[in-house]
Amino acid sequence: MIICRNVSKEYRHAGQRKQVLKGVNLTVNRGDRIALLGRNGAGKSTLIKLIGGVEMPTSGRIEHSMSISWPLGFAGGFQGSLTGYDNARFIARIYQRQYADIRAFVEDFTELGAQLRMPVKTYSSGMRARLAFALSLAIEFDCYLIDEIILVGDQNFHRKCRAELFEKRADRTMILASHDTGTVRELCNRAVIIDQGQAVAYDDVDFAVDTYSAL
Amino acid sequence: MASASWRNLHNAWKIQTRVIHALIIRELSTRFGRENIGFLWIMVEPLLFASLVGLLWSVIKGPEEHGISVVAFAATGYIPLTLFRHGVQRSVLVFTINSSLLYHRQIKIMDFILARFIIELLGCMMAYLFIGVILIATGYMPIPSDIRLFLAGWVLYALFCLSICLVLSPLSEVSEVMEKFIPVTTYIVLPFSGAFNMLSWLTPSMREFLLYSPFVNGMEMMRKGIWGEKVTAYYDVWNPLICSAVLIAIGLPLCRRVRRRLSVE
Repeated sequence: MIICRNVSKEYRHAGQRKQVLKGVNLTVNRGDRIALLGRNGAGKSTLIKLIGGVEMPTSGRIEHSMSISWPLGFAGGFQGSLTGYDNARFIARIYQRQYADIRAFVEDFTELGAQLRMPVKTYSSGMRARLAFALSLAIEFDCYLIDEIILVGDQNFHRKCRAELFEKRADRTMILASHDTGTVRELCNRAVIIDQGQAVAYDDVDFAVDTYSAL
Repeated sequence: MASASWRNLHNAWKIQTRVIHALIIRELSTRFGRENIGFLWIMVEPLLFASLVGLLWSVIKGPEEHGISVVAFAATGYIPLTLFRHGVQRSVLVFTINSSLLYHRQIKIMDFILARFIIELLGCMMAYLFIGVILIATGYMPIPSDIRLFLAGWVLYALFCLSICLVLSPLSEVSEVMEKFIPVTTYIVLPFSGAFNMLSWLTPSMREFLLYSPFVNGMEMMRKGIWGEKVTAYYDVWNPLICSAVLIAIGLPLCRRVRRRLSVE
């Protein structure tokens, strides 16, 4: 379970303040596939970062009783000047896994071949997405945080993601930030609309998507 | 209850040592790559610094001063100084530079500071060992008369350097002015570093004043540990200990505060 209790987040820069989230309450149950809906800048990524422990809430608490992946997105989690293999080695070390296993999975899932010996900064966003997914799937989490990233990549990547994430790991919890209402209707069983710093949870995904589309 | 929290602490310790280990390897491979001598580069700079300054001094001052080899004296002064200067330089904006790693929740910001400091510490210790063996073999430096006193001095000196980093790295994140001041500060510290002379060579009032500097106390201990009866040393073990404790007590809450506000791309 993941529980957000009255979570607020405020960013300050050069004397200016921006309140992104204002007292968000949210309960995520084991096995839930939650879609985060909201317009650009509404705070979807912020909420995902807070749940992932990347940033700290300004006030409020986030409790969790399961392992949560790092947010899978375009940025973060990599060192650009290191190669794909070096990043895999680093991940294996800090998550205490066998490098050989992770390496094998990454090679198979990403199909990047010799590119894995190149620095990650030379990768396209689709290639980064492949590596990010491969690494987090190799570690195995109870809950996956997915920030938009599912939409990048080619058909082959989409098919693999579906097979690995939504079929093989159908029992896992997922929190998915997406603008693609089709994906959301198909994959999620609950939806949360973030608007004006507030989060409202809906058990009826179709209704939530309609409400979001009307925003 | 007590045993549960003990187990938690033990677990946390295991995780943090693993993370720091991984960070050190990562940092070494980004900074030095795997070509030619690789990570051995970490000792090259302190080594070059110590030997070139030693040569320069021996040209200016002659081969010996107060009955001590100038080359050896310069080496014992400059290697600890390099630890301080590099440690401080490396701790500037360390959170921002590494922020993409905060995606992994077991990595704490303290790990960034510690990993970088340990690299500098290892580099300087390797350089010290290397240069020490050469100077002892060539007769410029005696075999250390009290290696324990020397090591105690080194530990205190390093501890004080680390505690400075713990304060400077969060401050450099908070204010750009601080960040700009740091290079000047490392320069201003030079006369208070104890690198250039023994306290016994100075006037009593100067000596008393410099004994307030934790660097000087550590440096005197190291040199007494090497030259023994040949030098007179003045030091107080408590000075670097207390100064470090005070800085750590300021630095840790500062780090925590900066972490709470840190925005990660």
